[in-house]
Amino acid sequence: MSSLNTESHIEPAPLQLGTLEQCTLVDLTELPRVGFRGQQSAEYLQARGFTLPDAPNRAVTQADGSHVARLSQTEYLILGSLQDRGERIADEQARWELDHSANYLLPREDSHAWLQLSGVCIAEVMAKLCGVDLRCAAFPPGAVAQTSAARINVIVINLGSKGQAAFQILFDRASLEYFKDAVLDAMAEFDGQVLEIEALQ
Amino acid sequence: MSRLPAPMGLLIDRNQPLDFSFDGKPYQGLAGDSIASALLANGRFLLSRSFKYHRPRGPLTMAGQDANTLVQLQSEPNVLADSHLLESGVQVTGQNFNGSLDNDNDAYLGKFSKFMPVGFYYRSFYKPKGAWKLWEPIIRKKAGLGVLDLKFQPEYYDKAYLFADLAVIGAGPAGLQAALTAANAGAKVLLIEQQPVLGGSLTYARFDLEGNRAQTLRRELVDAVEGHANIRVLKKATCNAWFTDNYLPVIQNKRMYKVRATQCLIASGSFDQPVIFRNNDLPGVMLTSAAQRLMKLYAVKPGKRAVVLTGNDDGYLAALDLHDQGVEVAALVDMRNNPADRALLLALERRGIVCHLGSTVFEALHEKGMRHVSGADIRKITGLGQVASSGLVLDCDLLCMSGGYMPVYQLLCQAGGKLAYDDQLAEFTLSGLPKNLTVAGSAHGYHALDNVLADAIHAAAEIVVALNLELTSKPLATRPEAQVNFPWPIFPHPKGKDFVDFDEDLQVRDIINATKIGYRDIQLVKRYSTVGMGPSQGRHSALPTARLVAACTQRGISETGVTTARPPFEAEKLAHVAGRAFDPYRQTPMHKRHMDAGAKMMPAGIWQRPAYYGKASERDACMQAEALHVRNKVGIIDVSTLGGLDVRGPDAAELLNRLYTFAFLKQPIGRSRYALMTNEHGVVIDDGVCARFGENHFYVTATTSGVDRIYQQMLKWNAQWRLNVDIANVTAAISAVNVAGPDSRKVLEKVCQDLDLSAEGFPYLGVRQGTVAGIKTRLLRVGFVGELGYEIHVPARHALKLWDALMQAGQAFDIRPFGVEAQRLLRLEKGHVIISQDTDGMTHPAEIDMGWAVSRTKPFFVGRRSVDILEAQPQKRKLVGFTLPRVSPRPLEGHLVLSGADISGNVTSCEYSQSLDKIIGLAYAAFDQSQPGQQIPIRVEDGVIVHATVVKLPFFDPENQRQEH
Amino acid sequence: MKVMTCPLNGPRNISEFTYGGEFKQMPDPQTCSDAEWADYVFNSEDILGVVREWWMHNPSSYWFLVERHTGSDEILRTFDPKEVFNARVEFTAVTAKETAR
Repeated sequence: MSSLNTESHIEPAPLQLGTLEQCTLVDLTELPRVGFRGQQSAEYLQARGFTLPDAPNRAVTQADGSHVARLSQTEYLILGSLQDRGERIADEQARWELDHSANYLLPREDSHAWLQLSGVCIAEVMAKLCGVDLRCAAFPPGAVAQTSAARINVIVINLGSKGQAAFQILFDRASLEYFKDAVLDAMAEFDGQVLEIEALQ
Repeated sequence: MSRLPAPMGLLIDRNQPLDFSFDGKPYQGLAGDSIASALLANGRFLLSRSFKYHRPRGPLTMAGQDANTLVQLQSEPNVLADSHLLESGVQVTGQNFNGSLDNDNDAYLGKFSKFMPVGFYYRSFYKPKGAWKLWEPIIRKKAGLGVLDLKFQPEYYDKAYLFADLAVIGAGPAGLQAALTAANAGAKVLLIEQQPVLGGSLTYARFDLEGNRAQTLRRELVDAVEGHANIRVLKKATCNAWFTDNYLPVIQNKRMYKVRATQCLIASGSFDQPVIFRNNDLPGVMLTSAAQRLMKLYAVKPGKRAVVLTGNDDGYLAALDLHDQGVEVAALVDMRNNPADRALLLALERRGIVCHLGSTVFEALHEKGMRHVSGADIRKITGLGQVASSGLVLDCDLLCMSGGYMPVYQLLCQAGGKLAYDDQLAEFTLSGLPKNLTVAGSAHGYHALDNVLADAIHAAAEIVVALNLELTSKPLATRPEAQVNFPWPIFPHPKGKDFVDFDEDLQVRDIINATKIGYRDIQLVKRYSTVGMGPSQGRHSALPTARLVAACTQRGISETGVTTARPPFEAEKLAHVAGRAFDPYRQTPMHKRHMDAGAKMMPAGIWQRPAYYGKASERDACMQAEALHVRNKVGIIDVSTLGGLDVRGPDAAELLNRLYTFAFLKQPIGRSRYALMTNEHGVVIDDGVCARFGENHFYVTATTSGVDRIYQQMLKWNAQWRLNVDIANVTAAISAVNVAGPDSRKVLEKVCQDLDLSAEGFPYLGVRQGTVAGIKTRLLRVGFVGELGYEIHVPARHALKLWDALMQAGQAFDIRPFGVEAQRLLRLEKGHVIISQDTDGMTHPAEIDMGWAVSRTKPFFVGRRSVDILEAQPQKRKLVGFTLPRVSPRPLEGHLVLSGADISGNVTSCEYSQSLDKIIGLAYAAFDQSQPGQQIPIRVEDGVIVHATVVKLPFFDPENQRQEH
Repeated sequence: MKVMTCPLNGPRNISEFTYGGEFKQMPDPQTCSDAEWADYVFNSEDILGVVREWWMHNPSSYWFLVERHTGSDEILRTFDPKEVFNARVEFTAVTAKETAR
């Protein structure tokens, strides 16, 4: 991205009161996540105790704080919980084996980077990168958009609440540096801040 | 100079004076002024010189719609002075003059206009041959528009999407009313207005005798709109185009909004039209709306004594405005025989204003220097464009004209709307708009205020229904209204200077002459005469040109039409289009290590890869040393960018068997096979290695640049075949390194304990899953660079650890990283092709000697039938290896291979090989040139021919002993 | 910019999609004539009217079929290819069969 605004670097800030409102970016790439795809994936995941979204492009938060997003009729993306640092999901990835059932693991932790964008104006931030209307009325909590942002493919999942939107953004891991810069540039006019993952716990 | 009292001056702040300069002289304006209004307030009307004849010009529209107000700012040329907000301290100069703006030494050019007709440049300066070279610099200098600031620093411009249920373009009475009606029904409305203030014509025009209606209505509508939770207003914002499905680029300050609206309503209004008579371009001659804008927006008195020339009742209302503000109205000249509303005539007469009916201004008069209008020659109209031989001359310093209206049709026509001319109304009307696009107000042909409001409510009602909302407003009926356009406001003068197009100095005879020369089509008239090509883009010239061309060619005006309206609606900066562009790039997990090792990076698709490690000035030496190190010791290369696909499921082998040319059904587990892919045309499109890790698990590599396309093609085929298989693109998820060279096994042995790495235990083309440096990996024995080598594939998150472990383990063996350039040389020495470098859009397998990789025993693969057909025909060309002595000029990729006088092929790869001490390369040559030992002529730089020797491939280690041991 | 409704992802800018060519039946590659094969590979119908086309939604790599009028450029319908391709396709040594209707 040929940003002309080279001085818009935003330094990580300590967690402060009022930051829930502030436009905040957290890099969650170190947190485990995994995908499953196949005719028998739903059955498999339900047996593993997951509650699944009933339609594609919907997401459901689990009791332990992990999330399951459904990306197609037969594909699921599972995001680890901050509560256990994604341990449950890492275990799910480790225990899976290729057998004769139609349930194929997708290495989402390796293929995708993960950023969380939260705060009051995140729909406006994303509108500088992405052609899909992500305002709350069009993109409520639980919605998933597989789309293009800053000219790369992204999966945007709204896992916020009605009053507090939070987008989980997953995208090509090899593009992490590129995309993070693009988001930071877009956040600059909204006084965006960067927090470390520790701040969320 | 004092301003008019309030309520005049809607835009200005009388308490905030601003100092500025124009052409070096100091002036004072007020906050809220445009540059032009501030200058006019100081009595300065002459703002620019015309493009061709250097005639003095002043504001025509006061709305940024004409080229007369183009001025130069310090760092920006061609700024519209009547729409550019005045800033404190700004230094403004005129442009396009020789000497000074007031005394332009080139003004004599106007006297020669008879000798400078349209097409004059092309006809006069191109003969004799070569003459243009002499004339061009002189003419270019005369025809300059502004000066660029070459020290200008780029600024931050960006783009953002905006979403709305309804976008309303234009916040005049129609736009305001429609936005309100739709918003009351629950629609989320985006209201876009070019001006800094809402209201459109309500801010400057007069709609009733008393002169209160506009102001009252404006306050009512604006208050409701600005307080409405469902309406977002963008002021000083221009919708510069209409694109399919209501995709609207809206420019505001330094941002381009990409508006996507479910519904779009265009309430863009209409352009007040000038009347054509001699000297209708003098400073002080302006549209009636311009005079009204000056008074109402800026509290500037446009003159002391005015003549108002009109073809409709609006001119009478403007005359009342002028009179109310203390301008003496010397006469109202109505081209019609009677006003539609007799009460207006009486109102004027009551104020002592003389009305000349059935008359026109035939010529605007001036004193020496033409710096301002000084009078009007008024004549009775005797026929179409004809006037009586004598008339009445009145002194005036302001001449207002109103010939009628032209709908602002640009966005509507871009959307597919068709213009037709209504001969009765003498007006263009619109039809044929696409779904979800509506027009209302004067752009829709309604000019009476009540009708405009009724039409807006009607349009909004349709939109509300289309949005599945419930209408809350009651419809109003429209009533018949008075005609606003005078059918022929064109009065050619025998002495000319009766301007049709002010931007390009085009007179009536210029248009007529274009048709006489044979240009009948309006598009050709435009290109020949340049009418409508200037900054105002035909806003005032399209209608008279259509009328003139129609009359000259004895056709209807509908048939003649106007020229195509294309985006942008008004000039936009490249920065708006280019600003904040996105250029994605990808980096491997080892990127930082490469940078630390001094890698010179190169793009591979959008990946960044090390080309070689070292300085750019030592590229050849670095690359040769890296290659030699692989041949003699051991090297390591990051091949994470290589495409990777996991193909899993009971039909995995069947899928690959259909997609690649080779046979895969019986491929043993733990082995890899070369995989070549053709498309349905039989053309080679990709290659890779197919590694079988299980009965129903293959791992397939693909080229860096090809993998995404290949993956998509696989999905497309299987959407049809419905095989029981999952295809996953794991390119970014799996990183890889290739450790290659005689010592590579020794390096690997230090970090891998759970595999038998012996030549027997893990042979060439074997594949294994094992642990390297504590990481679960996939290992592939490959021979791309022609040495003993291991490709080690790991999950991306562990790749950096792997790299560090291998570098550490390799220290004892002097392991060194090598880049893409060395890898390319090494593979070239082995005669391995790179798909899309050594192949093109025609290459089929036999041409690159890959017949061995095509299975003839299976029933089908994509491209099979085409390959069969191609190979049944005599082969025309072949990719051959060639050598040249070290001292020969080195051919470059793309250099031509000749066969007699014909081109028989081209060089695809070429490099000096230190191992062979020769220049080696690959090239396409005619089939009869392809036998080893034959000489092929190659035309290199500067047309030099070198004769290369065709050799059998590979160049190096023909028995493949090094990679297989 | 045009909007197309993806059967999986809903209405999106056309720039999110890749055109995958005209939908056409593959003739039996083992039994058809060279001319029939060449016609399949190289020629397009290019009719004025409703055509069926392949399109793919890039971010989700999802292929689907589109019915579009070439005169108005109006997209009339988009649908999952399962509507057309509902059974496994086999290529046997003797005849190749397309079960697509």
